Amino acid sequence: MSKKIISKKTSHGSFDDAANAALFLAVFIGVWQVVFMLGIWPKISLPSPLMVAESFVKIIWNHSLPVSIGVTLARLVAAFAISISLGTLIGLAMIKFKGFGKTLSSFSAGLLSFPSIAWVPFSILLIGFNDFGILFVVVMSSIFSIMISTYSSIRNIPPIYLDAAKNMGAKGFYLFRHVTIPAATPSLIIGIRQAWSFAWHAIIGAEILMSIVGLGHILSVGRDFLDMGQVIASMITIFAIGLLVDRLLLFKLDERVRRKWGLDHHR
Amino acid sequence: MTKLQAKNIVKHFDHNGNSVLALDGINLNVEEGDFICIVGPSGCGKSTFLNIVAGLETPDSGEILLNGNKISTPGPDRTMVFQEGALFPWLKVIDNVEFGLKMAGIPKDERRQISERYLDMMQLTKFADSYIYQLSTGMKQRVAIARALAMDPEILLMDEPFAALDFQTRDLLLVELQLIWERTKKTIIFVTHNISESVILGNRVVVFKNRPAKIKKEFVIDYRRPRLAEDENLQKYYHQILEELKSEVMARIKDENL
Repeated sequence: MSKKIISKKTSHGSFDDAANAALFLAVFIGVWQVVFMLGIWPKISLPSPLMVAESFVKIIWNHSLPVSIGVTLARLVAAFAISISLGTLIGLAMIKFKGFGKTLSSFSAGLLSFPSIAWVPFSILLIGFNDFGILFVVVMSSIFSIMISTYSSIRNIPPIYLDAAKNMGAKGFYLFRHVTIPAATPSLIIGIRQAWSFAWHAIIGAEILMSIVGLGHILSVGRDFLDMGQVIASMITIFAIGLLVDRLLLFKLDERVRRKWGLDHHR
Repeated sequence: MTKLQAKNIVKHFDHNGNSVLALDGINLNVEEGDFICIVGPSGCGKSTFLNIVAGLETPDSGEILLNGNKISTPGPDRTMVFQEGALFPWLKVIDNVEFGLKMAGIPKDERRQISERYLDMMQLTKFADSYIYQLSTGMKQRVAIARALAMDPEILLMDEPFAALDFQTRDLLLVELQLIWERTKKTIIFVTHNISESVILGNRVVVFKNRPAKIKKEFVIDYRRPRLAEDENLQKYYHQILEELKSEVMARIKDENL
């Protein structure tokens, strides 16, 4: 019974949310149009919303946008897969070898706040001006987040869960698979969301500086040709993809786990 | 027949770098089918003792024998009902009850049969597919009891399982637990700081001294069941135990004020 009421409330809530978002966008575009008409900046520096829409049509029509999105996402998926698998392994090693974990986690603030763009010169000299160089930057920018979150999520599991599980005969891999992983999941998801946002920062930065194709690249081409329409259209695409991936994948996952655990029942 | 034997259990704690003696040689024989209640001031070390029996903590010296065999690790032959339930929020009620059976490698159909029987015993059938957060505190403890019983342990360990419950729920569970004990003939060790709980439940009540804990006195409560909280005939046992416990609680308070 309570379930029904809750789902009703959320569906109502998401309708409100969508309406609010639409209203916000309308106001934003309206203000933009007004500023454009005031003519403070020349058209070439600040085009109108309609001119940006035309740029959109242009870069979709000449295929540069779809190709860029495809390339960028492919790189991102590859790099993120490496980050997650390698980061999780290292995080587990940090748990297993306590001294190693303690040492590495004492560097975590430095590693996590390290700007992704600062890896670019290093990567260009080490690996070169190519896809692998970009992957390297993205992996380095997101892997620490995965490592540290794996480490701390598992360490922060309430000991009572492990005690209860051991008490019921769970040990070894079973304990890990059926208790450690699920107990750490809500916090692991937060780490993955953070890593995703770091990876997204990194790939656009790396593509602006080191690529001849991709979303970051069409952004910098826009600048090279003084095409502000293309710059803004690329920026909007980057914003939209960042938002969509988080909302459709990671947020959904987070929400599902939170609902199961009853974590949204705080008042 | 002696089910469980605690032989001279000693345990120290590390408290701000100082070693504090928590258990000072506990000797206890638990007979098959016993319902033993351990009472003592809170913080006296009775939960530590229970954890040692469960194998979750190791004693500095002394040993625990189950059916004559020394035990040192946790095991499903001694399942524990924890104070906070310790249920898994990522599993449905029924999967919580089946957890230990799954770890033991029992096939799914058989697991389902067993878990359904215990859910029914604890009147939780309707909530089999609920998640833990959807349950009241009393229901959570019933799930925890069902989960422990489903393992069909040699001995059931209960660590203040009713401490967080409201009075009405607790009184109901006190009766239910007695019925379950009579029906299943399980050996139970039940730790509590609540004297009336111990009098209602135990056929033996063991009083722990304040830290360092030792067994101060043991009472045998030979009285018909199910015993009800409001039964005035239990008062005399209550007062005898209170008499023993009073000085220990005072000592505990003094300790805490130091």
